[in-house]
Amino acid sequence: MAITRRSVIALPVLAAMPVRAFAAEPVKIGYIEALTGNAAAAGQSIKQAAELATEIINNPHPELAPLTLATKTGGLTNLGGAKVEIAWADNQGSPAVAQSDALRLITQDHVVALTGAYQSSCTLTSSAVAERYGIPYLAGESAAANLTERGYKWFFRTTPYGPDFARLYLDFLAAVAKTGMATSKIAVVHENTDYGTSVADSMVQTAAARGIKVAQRIAYNANGTDVSPQVLELKNGKPDVVIFISYTSDSILYLKTMKTLGFRPPIVIGDDSGFSDPSFVKSVGPIAQGALNRSAFVPGKPDSLTYKINALFKKKTGRDMDDTTARSMQGFLVLCDAINRAGSTKPEAIRDALVKTDLPASALMINYKGVKFNAQGQNTLAYSLMIQLQGDRYVPVWPTEAASAKLELPFKGWS
Amino acid sequence: MRLSRAWPAALLLVLVASPFFSFNPFYQRVAALVALAAISASAWNVIGGYAGQVSFGHSVYFGVGAYAALLVFTKLGLPPIAGAPLGILASLAISVIAGLPTFRLHGHYFSMATFAIAALAELLIINWNFAGGAIGMMGPATARSPADLLFRSALPYYAIFLAVLAVLLWLTHRMQRSRMGFYLRAIGAGERAAQSLGVPIRRYKLYALLLSGAFTALAGSLYAVMIGFIDPDSGFGVLISVNMVVMAALGGAGTLFGPLVGAVILVPLSEASNAILGGGSSGAAYVAYGVIIMLIARFCPGGLAEWWRVLTRTRRRRAA
Repeated sequence: MAITRRSVIALPVLAAMPVRAFAAEPVKIGYIEALTGNAAAAGQSIKQAAELATEIINNPHPELAPLTLATKTGGLTNLGGAKVEIAWADNQGSPAVAQSDALRLITQDHVVALTGAYQSSCTLTSSAVAERYGIPYLAGESAAANLTERGYKWFFRTTPYGPDFARLYLDFLAAVAKTGMATSKIAVVHENTDYGTSVADSMVQTAAARGIKVAQRIAYNANGTDVSPQVLELKNGKPDVVIFISYTSDSILYLKTMKTLGFRPPIVIGDDSGFSDPSFVKSVGPIAQGALNRSAFVPGKPDSLTYKINALFKKKTGRDMDDTTARSMQGFLVLCDAINRAGSTKPEAIRDALVKTDLPASALMINYKGVKFNAQGQNTLAYSLMIQLQGDRYVPVWPTEAASAKLELPFKGWS
Repeated sequence: MRLSRAWPAALLLVLVASPFFSFNPFYQRVAALVALAAISASAWNVIGGYAGQVSFGHSVYFGVGAYAALLVFTKLGLPPIAGAPLGILASLAISVIAGLPTFRLHGHYFSMATFAIAALAELLIINWNFAGGAIGMMGPATARSPADLLFRSALPYYAIFLAVLAVLLWLTHRMQRSRMGFYLRAIGAGERAAQSLGVPIRRYKLYALLLSGAFTALAGSLYAVMIGFIDPDSGFGVLISVNMVVMAALGGAGTLFGPLVGAVILVPLSEASNAILGGGSSGAAYVAYGVIIMLIARFCPGGLAEWWRVLTRTRRRRAA
């Protein structure tokens, strides 16, 4: 153990850090999140969802069956009812800090597996540590394509990622085209840091693979205070579809500017983030009627699992569960399920169980078609739905079998 | 006087050697991060401390070094460390191009100009798609050969960083006692006065910047090798520069060991506060960090080096 000859030396703070000698009964899982910094709001929401998840796992919840790990007795049944415990770490939005976090969780807290870490850059560096130590790492929410292209043995990802989103939009547009609406002229507007750039790249590549050329691609700075040049450029291009890959304040600004300049394209799609932010709906909802969005989590009918989970989350936090939070929570549940199936806390056993994961849609608290990993560790059954802003909330509109409301096109905006 | 010098030296020696005798991987990693931060803070100290030219743009050098390392890996398939000499060469060019015009400015104007250059550099990198643009670049996922310098333990990194730091401190020590050291301190104390005494101020400021920039770039390359990922924010972000300034100021700018002392205090502090407070009460880590910096600025603005000097000279003088 970490008993060293350094006790004489300074840095008592470091020495005072929690050092658990033997893995006691509870199963400890490391959760790296953006608890402070730019993405703190998302990180804190994920933390609340993870607390809900541990509560569900550790206590009897037969009413939530067939959700995995919602049992009559509580705890991980194959491990003698062991409770799940989370060791939290804050990545502060920094790839270097995330790497320190992973090392600390593995070597000091002796976690049996890791999950996180929100920003793709943080997931990248922290999972590299897990790979070197041979500890399973499950990414529930990071969507950068290169994460699963590294040939890692210990890395798994449940969330849909860039190309999945691009495919969803193109499939949706193809379906809309069948109704006689023009959808061939696509404009992609994206903020210019990693999130916007990577999703836009996936969009352009996936479209090109289907022989569709993205007509306009406009990058902008999300911290800017004026987007009228971009909106005028869009207006001149007369696109059939505008896809926004934006954060919150900038997406609000776009809607306001579009109204001022009288630009109303027939189809408006917002890629999650900004368009999903509650403050977006509150401030520009009335002038963004008919805006489309994606989500992997739609509460649906009152007897569905998604609805029940959303109700529990709302009771705990006062908010509805959002897409990112749900993806992270589902990732954590899949990891816990694998540990339970492994019946062991040995890394090899957990990894084997993860490889063999084959969860049906009915066992999930999210709208994926299931969870099954390919050789790279990517979930092949990850899935999202198209939702549309109608009134003051988003409702699922496509694909039709999952829709609870009728798709309303063209984009109404403010009329 | 003798004793007062022996004490800190002995303490430093124990601290420096301790990671090699520790079996705690996290402690070793923190030690490596301390050494790395000490390299860039000590490099900054040459121009910012000795010559008194407070640069807020050193992230440019750090970023150039870090990007050079991962560019040679992504584009040429070479081990990242092979990019270090290129990063240093680029830093020398930048020193000349950026130094000559900005050295005409004094005091806050110089700081603001360097800040602007750093902000500009970050924007350029964000839009430079060849170097990964806004997304950044990653290092080798797994070690292809020992030259990739991918280790599970942080100890080899610590040893490398320590060696680089030793070379830098030795150079600084030599410089301190040479004509250049006197010139730089004269410039720091008062540029006009120095000039009136015949110190070729712009030439010597440039020398200092060349040395400072080169080692900061090397620190950037080493960072990229260890962390294995670089993006505009972690290479060119304003915090990179601020950290160098704060560490040097805390320990004592313009002293040989000041920046090292600053790194020894601040890096473990931020790592430990993140470890202890980070998960439970978010933001508390930042608060603790901020309070300590405020205390230093209020009670010993000359840095701990100044404090130590006063303390050892007049042992029993304590305010209130």
